[in-house]
Amino acid sequence: MSEGRRIRAALVVLAIGAAPVLAQPTGVAEAGSDRGGGNLSDPLIVPEVPDAPAPRLPDGTPDLSGLWLGGGPNRDISQGLLPGEEIVLLAEAARVMASRRPQDDPEAHCLPTGVPRVAPYPWRIVQMPAYGKATHLYFLFEGNIHSYRQIFMDGREHPEDLDPTWYGHSIGRWEGDTLVIDTVGFNDRFWFDFHGHPHTEQLRTIERYTRTRLGTLDNEVTIIDPGAYAKPFTVKYTATLRPGWELMEYICNENNQDVGHMIGPGYRDLAQPSP
Amino acid sequence: MRAAVIPALSLLLSHSVPAAAHHTFIAQYDPQRPVSMTGVVTRVEWTNPHARFYLDVADESGAVVNWNLELASPNVLRRYGWTGKSLQPGDRVSVDGSLARDGSKMANALSVTLSDGSKIFARESAPALQ
Repeated sequence: MSEGRRIRAALVVLAIGAAPVLAQPTGVAEAGSDRGGGNLSDPLIVPEVPDAPAPRLPDGTPDLSGLWLGGGPNRDISQGLLPGEEIVLLAEAARVMASRRPQDDPEAHCLPTGVPRVAPYPWRIVQMPAYGKATHLYFLFEGNIHSYRQIFMDGREHPEDLDPTWYGHSIGRWEGDTLVIDTVGFNDRFWFDFHGHPHTEQLRTIERYTRTRLGTLDNEVTIIDPGAYAKPFTVKYTATLRPGWELMEYICNENNQDVGHMIGPGYRDLAQPSP
Repeated sequence: MRAAVIPALSLLLSHSVPAAAHHTFIAQYDPQRPVSMTGVVTRVEWTNPHARFYLDVADESGAVVNWNLELASPNVLRRYGWTGKSLQPGDRVSVDGSLARDGSKMANALSVTLSDGSKIFARESAPALQ
């Protein structure tokens, strides 16, 4: 007997306990009630973004500040490949990728995404000083995990003796209206996506951020890793502004029960393309 | 009054798999094995990376099984308008979800219906946030 039939046969059961008396009308729990007030007719709760040009700082520099969602791969980095680009894994990298199971994904273990992966949670760009020529940019992540990237905008170079880290060492500069971030010094522990695309400590990323409109931030990122890929490749993603949202607490590892129950296939095992 | 845990075959086509999360959804839950159940909430954990609640459901022999039901993360649920008080111990609810692959008494709760018919935590329309 299939498990589904077994469950159906075994578990047609009697209710237990007394039904609580609830005040809400039939339908959706009322806004402002103790129950919360989610609006199922508009469940995304995405505020409208005016169709306006990208803002600029008083000195004319593009202002990238804001709370953003997306802007990088999460499920499958190949979804962002630009026309003519391809991912060519070296043999060892292909072996590593094939060996990866969903429950081994560092993100599932509440470890950082690295670069260029993004979590499905918002992040904020903050510059220091707030006005004038930035010396530092910070990407503040709600998930996964609470962390930040620090981008040096003061003209310094990469140090020679970097220890490998999750976010590496980032230096940024402006090319016209595009922020170009060059990052080296990565560890090899994070995955680019759920599919398990790997990299080595030779990884270098060149991100090119352009705020095309008030509500959109393009990220074209070139992956350069001669330890894992036969040639560089470039992917493009677009982050969208979430005005009115704020960063919220997301302590991923306070009650992470998932990985112990992940026994099934990954998305790359499916015949269907990744949605 | 009857309560049940039955495969909800009618949900096969209507339930979408969350498109993004901090882990691979389909490795833990099987969208091809939808389930419906009704019972009484025994505990709510408003925690990350997922809010959870536990539901006592009795089978036909009268034995009570405590199910572990996974929701989105509290930050996502908050952005929908739900709070840690939206579901409370003692509530009698019906749940539609996807069963865990490993046979444990776990499911991913795609929607929760209170005994007065009002729905809370419905989430399938916001895949980008899950």
